[in-house]
Amino acid sequence: MGRHRVPVRRNRVAIEREKDTDLRTHSIGATIVQTVAGLFVVISGTYDMSVQTAEAIPAFARKYALNCTTCHTAPPQLNTFGERFLENGYQLPGTEDGGITGKKNLGDLSLDDFAHYTGVRLRGNVLRAHNFKQQNPPGAESGTVQNKSELGFPEVFSLFTAGTLSKDMGFFAEMESNLEEGATGIERAFITFNNVGGENIANIRIGKLDPSAVFSFSTLRQQLEFIGESTNSSTDAVQRAGLFPLATAAKFYGLRDRSGTVISPYAPSLYNAVAETGVEVRGRPFGDWFMYQVGVLNGSNEGFGDSNKGKDFYGAIRLDYARSANFSASLSGFAYLGNSNATVFDGTRNVDANWNRYGAAAHLRYKMLDLHGMYTLDRITHAPTAALSNFDTTASGVTVALDAYVTNRTLLSLRYDNMDAGGDLTQRTSQTFAGMQIKHYLRSNVALYARHDLNLRRAEEGNAAARNLRHAVFVGIDISY
Amino acid sequence: MHRRVLRYLAILIVTGFCATTAQALRPKDGRDTITEGHRIYDRACVWCHGTEGKGDGPSGWSIGRYAAPRPRDFTAESYKLRSTPSGELPTDQDLFRTITQGIPGFMPSYRSLNEQERWQVIAYLKSLNPAFEQEQPTPMVLPSPPLFPSGNGITNGRALYAKYECRTCHGDNGAGDGPESKAGHLRDAYNLPITATDLTDPSSFKNGATPHDLYRSIMTGLDGTPMPAYADQFAGQEEAAWDLVWYLQSLSGQPGR
Repeated sequence: MGRHRVPVRRNRVAIEREKDTDLRTHSIGATIVQTVAGLFVVISGTYDMSVQTAEAIPAFARKYALNCTTCHTAPPQLNTFGERFLENGYQLPGTEDGGITGKKNLGDLSLDDFAHYTGVRLRGNVLRAHNFKQQNPPGAESGTVQNKSELGFPEVFSLFTAGTLSKDMGFFAEMESNLEEGATGIERAFITFNNVGGENIANIRIGKLDPSAVFSFSTLRQQLEFIGESTNSSTDAVQRAGLFPLATAAKFYGLRDRSGTVISPYAPSLYNAVAETGVEVRGRPFGDWFMYQVGVLNGSNEGFGDSNKGKDFYGAIRLDYARSANFSASLSGFAYLGNSNATVFDGTRNVDANWNRYGAAAHLRYKMLDLHGMYTLDRITHAPTAALSNFDTTASGVTVALDAYVTNRTLLSLRYDNMDAGGDLTQRTSQTFAGMQIKHYLRSNVALYARHDLNLRRAEEGNAAARNLRHAVFVGIDISY
Repeated sequence: MHRRVLRYLAILIVTGFCATTAQALRPKDGRDTITEGHRIYDRACVWCHGTEGKGDGPSGWSIGRYAAPRPRDFTAESYKLRSTPSGELPTDQDLFRTITQGIPGFMPSYRSLNEQERWQVIAYLKSLNPAFEQEQPTPMVLPSPPLFPSGNGITNGRALYAKYECRTCHGDNGAGDGPESKAGHLRDAYNLPITATDLTDPSSFKNGATPHDLYRSIMTGLDGTPMPAYADQFAGQEEAAWDLVWYLQSLSGQPGR
């Protein structure tokens, strides 16, 4: 359910912990890549022959005795049924089954009951390889911008519990441990009150929540996982691009939060944040074709101890069509209005600014095809003129992703990302990436994947910034139970 | 006299209450019931079964992807989960049972709809297929298990398992790994690949896992799948079918008889 944590308050998002002793050459790296990729094919092929059935079952699927694909096209991406299940506060669409699945008395609980509310997910890259136009250029920390391949261990472990407490009252909590970041904590946690005022009139979420959960493009449901960038520990300059859905990213270089900490230009943020603390209301009062969503958050990058001067507000609408054979589509738009939710440096100090975002997204599903994309436009307003002489207040991003089952067990995912970056003119680096991933399900809850990301903009020799990355290869595993 | 009046009054109240309750649980078939069933269907069922009930809802494809099963096409015949002879439509009780229990792995239990709502949905589902107006599905007689089963129930059942070549699909040990299944030769009515049921895992039995459920599956078959009905083979020797049931139960470690 989770993904690589993106703690935007930190200088470095998912900082690569480089190993000083890594002396592998590119040719050795390439050999390792080929070897592991070969192993991937052999293992998946062999296992495929030995496993005839594919019974899935993490968490909700276990609770309802269903396969994952009842709710997902391919986890974590939801299908239309799964979306309505989510919107209904983890109750079957069109029902209010909280009473049936309500809590038992403590003495009546069994391990099975616990399992119906709890799931785990372990995922990450067992191999990663980066390739740069120029290795170790000036400004890069030693060993960071260097062609190499690394073996590793699946680095992200998530434990989540969710369900219904009673009729129309649900809960969700996710704890994540990320070895790459060295961080463990609550990723998301909220309670839901559903069908308030009538069927689908108002569904309320309160807590640390992901605002884009019900949008046509959900930050947390991308097949190509987040790959953290690397920044210089002393200058905060980006040394190696992060591989994120760039429409969700912060996009500004040199933007800081209210504590003065640099916000990563890659960090999913504002409406597209991994999680922020607040409350939201959404519903479909006129039928399935229309959904509204309004919410208020402590503010971008704010935790429970809100230091924000005000609150951030957002609103979204979504239009749905799900009346044709094997087809569904949705179109969404949102506006996120920040209120002193960022600061910019005016030459002497950091001064408050409003950071707003507007976006539109579409999602189409037809049989094996799942196409979704989003465009976002970010603007910095109410910043002092002195701070803007060297600062572009506008940035935009586009992400388009296509997932397709090419066989019953093999999922092909393609993603296009573009960021027209804003912020500090001396740092900002626009970029365009294309990613491709093959994910093979050994069982419906165990998958191996191989992924290749390519920098579509011309790599810039001698530049330590993002465009220096030519391409990257990842091989990993994704296990849910 | 006074006491007798009170007794009649009590009987009247109880009878009236029962009648009212029954009425509430099973609404009369009619336009209003179908309309209400349609409304519920559009909220709960349409995602997999589609707006016209053809099993082509927006989420239906992802359930089986390139393999069976696909969601039920209510406009077609050939229902899998029935208590009626092969080739016939299911009874209302069959539909009610499926909605209530769900299908492990593929369809959730809709106990969360109250009984009246489930009956209303059934009225709507039947309205999608004119055959329901023309036919009156009659369930097969499904007798209770014998009180005193034969002493060699499981042994007899194993012999029947071999005799009727169940192993061809379900495998020697019932794990669903028979040669036909492993070779990928099994296809459903839509020509989609289908795997044989793993008889060692009762929680995956689509038609239920009680002795009665197993008996029903054996006798009626699962139309639209390679699983045939064995009612003719067991005609006149229904008790032997129970031996096969006990054997199937023993495959999953259940006590059997």
